[in-house]
Amino acid sequence: MATLAQSKHKQPSRQSGSPERGASLGNFKFPACLTAGLLLLAFTPRVQGNEALTLSFFGAAAALAIWQVYQALMVRQNGESYGFNIVLRPQHYIQMFIQFSVYLYWGYHWNPVYEHMLLLAAQVLFAFGFDILLSWSRKRDYTLGFGPIPIIFSTNLFLWFRDDWFYLQFMMIAVGFMGKEYVRWNREGRNVHIFNPSAFALGIFSLLLIVTNTTSLTWGQEIASTLTLAPNIYTFLFLIGLVVMYFFSITLVAGMAAITLFGLSALYSATAGVPYFIDSDIPAAVFLGLHLLVTDPSTSPRTPLGKMFFGMLYGIGVFALYTVLAAFGAPTFYDKLLCVPLLNLSVIAIDRMVRSIDSKAVLNLWNDSWFGGRANLAHMSLWVVVFALMSMQGKTDGRHTGDSLPFWEQACAVGKANSCERLVQLQTTYCVDNAGWACNELGAVYREGVIVEKDEAMAIRYFSQSCELKFQAGCTNLLAEDRIARADPRSLDLRLLLREGSRNLLDWSEDELYARACEHDWAFACNNTRANI
Amino acid sequence: MNDDQQTAEPKVPSRTIGFSVMSVVIVVVATFLYQQQVLRKPQTEQLAAIPLPGTLPGFLPEQWYLADDPLLGFVEIPAGSFTMGSNPALDRMAYQNERWSNTRRQGRVDLPRYYISRYETSVAQFAAYLNAIGEEAGEVPLTGPADLPVTYITWPEALAYTRWLDAQLRESLDTPTELKSFLEAGGRVTLPSEAEWEKAARGTEGQVFPWRNAAAEEVANFNGSRPRAVNALNCRVCAWGLSDMSGNVWEMTASPMQPYPFSDEDDMENLSEDAIWIMRGGSFADGLANIRAAVRGGVDPGVRNIAIGFRIAISAR
Repeated sequence: MATLAQSKHKQPSRQSGSPERGASLGNFKFPACLTAGLLLLAFTPRVQGNEALTLSFFGAAAALAIWQVYQALMVRQNGESYGFNIVLRPQHYIQMFIQFSVYLYWGYHWNPVYEHMLLLAAQVLFAFGFDILLSWSRKRDYTLGFGPIPIIFSTNLFLWFRDDWFYLQFMMIAVGFMGKEYVRWNREGRNVHIFNPSAFALGIFSLLLIVTNTTSLTWGQEIASTLTLAPNIYTFLFLIGLVVMYFFSITLVAGMAAITLFGLSALYSATAGVPYFIDSDIPAAVFLGLHLLVTDPSTSPRTPLGKMFFGMLYGIGVFALYTVLAAFGAPTFYDKLLCVPLLNLSVIAIDRMVRSIDSKAVLNLWNDSWFGGRANLAHMSLWVVVFALMSMQGKTDGRHTGDSLPFWEQACAVGKANSCERLVQLQTTYCVDNAGWACNELGAVYREGVIVEKDEAMAIRYFSQSCELKFQAGCTNLLAEDRIARADPRSLDLRLLLREGSRNLLDWSEDELYARACEHDWAFACNNTRANI
Repeated sequence: MNDDQQTAEPKVPSRTIGFSVMSVVIVVVATFLYQQQVLRKPQTEQLAAIPLPGTLPGFLPEQWYLADDPLLGFVEIPAGSFTMGSNPALDRMAYQNERWSNTRRQGRVDLPRYYISRYETSVAQFAAYLNAIGEEAGEVPLTGPADLPVTYITWPEALAYTRWLDAQLRESLDTPTELKSFLEAGGRVTLPSEAEWEKAARGTEGQVFPWRNAAAEEVANFNGSRPRAVNALNCRVCAWGLSDMSGNVWEMTASPMQPYPFSDEDDMENLSEDAIWIMRGGSFADGLANIRAAVRGGVDPGVRNIAIGFRIAISAR
């Protein structure tokens, strides 16, 4: 890996001619407009509704303005100014459209995404301003295109800070661009950035949020769990992924990552008898990540075999981190974010390893020559077949074994791996969502002290919550500490318990609810359904 | 390229400075997040205690503002049977849900000895409890006069108070021997059952109101606009000498809303129904019909209301 000391003496390659001697400050109009735009957005009702958010906008605009003034003074002093090269690269604008389509589809089914759009626009303005000034401070013209937009879109597809802490979002964006500019190495004779800019910022901030246990300052958990509110999200991501694959030959990375994850997940499921990820064979947010986060061509290997290794390592990394994070009590949704910077660091080693293979047959694996120069189309065809097979087996959209609470209850009862922890985790999720039945079950779990450590205070807390949600068994459990009353979920509870990662079933009839509950193996519901027939 | 052109090439700034700036930003964010973590940890010791008066006439601040009498305000209700429910022939204001069964208008219920508080639970008593466990008042308004009945309490919160007081009375060396013995013999502080409440309110012979010969306006707070202090009136003409069993605030009980005949043993039935708990006694806002001793109101366990409070009992059930 190139060190900072090595890169420090290197002159960055200039994309345009020499600086203009004694040039005017005219080029500053554009970043000034961006700053003014950011400032104007601060006066919109969405931003004015929160004082911290408004101050965040003012702060970001002020930082850009001060930097511009400093740069302008330097121009006056040195007589050197820098301008723009306009270069529109397909990998930027196609990625941008693809990412935006995800926002549109996801936001249609989860409104906070649309409410975030204005903040997204503000970040884009900030990113352009920051990137321009960074480039000029490095004494080179700025390559103006769509470059910063995919970085912002990609970052926000996985993490954004709540309004009260939005200044951290601007700092995260700044760190991403600084990482691209300052953390570099020599790769195959070229001085290039090591990390995917959005993955670098996401990785650093994820680590900080985990260590300081401050995930609640962000929407991270909600972002990771609401993608499935959009129907057929796997198919949607698969289809837009094909577009990216077609244009940028990332099929080997994304496909291999998905196949590895599905494979490991299936292996675990076959061995342990329960799903590895609670309610999917591969979480939707991970499926999104392996299409749009890990596939930056400039920070991944170049050879086909290297790309396959890279994708495979991403799959293994996500799989392992899920367990590691859970073991430390950290939110598991960080799994897809933390391993990307580590993989970026391993790219040279992967390239070196591939080159060391003394076998032309292996090295040429998947090479163009195999497919008459259309290797990528061949890879894509294979990926289409693999995805179709997985979908036909119900491994993508649709009901998953882990959606059923009775499944986890039975698995826990017979002591299957991690099943009791998962059961408690699911019950906690539903209790937080105000399912009185789930709160009562949690209370019972803590009062019994069999699958968790006995904790009467926690039991009382959950019984109280259940009771306030009008679940009668929860109330009666408050009246005596030696009692554990249980009851079947009410239809109100079923509307939450049966949602299968999608929306709550508020408009379903009772017959529909009981029919689905029966499919989930709730015995009482099957009896009810039979009685109605 | 000549020499002039070479000297014109700008000197690119070192990446070390930029890298250092980036590192500083990351360290600043890390420090800030660490501080947020510290700030967001619950620090009960830093919570400002709810202000309570140093003295409150009729109550003992050192005994969690329980009543200043030999049994800390608890009144013994002797074991024995009493008449429960309403007979419309004797009480024309009776509601249908007060009827004992299809064949009987009223029933007799036998109860073991128990104690019930002379007064409704006050703001001071509940505030003392919150201060002791280090919790904020939250949605319970505790800024009013300390001797008013505490209201806006949910059913689980009322029970939480009784559990806490139970532990205090067991541990305290100042708990009257009679109460301590009862507690050690299996009694516990809790909400009264519907039957315990009704026996305490109307005596053993099924009178309509807690009093026999008195004008309701002189002994009960009803048809009004606000609650009054829990010890505003010592009702000597009332059954067992208890105050505000009629009016002032509705009092939550430990009995689920179920049709008569009353039995403790069927409390665990119908668990799939939505929870509704019996409340008794009517409130300052009700008319005469609703402050009768047999009236059965229902309260959603999560509801908060200015007209709903509670009274505690020590029961061996």
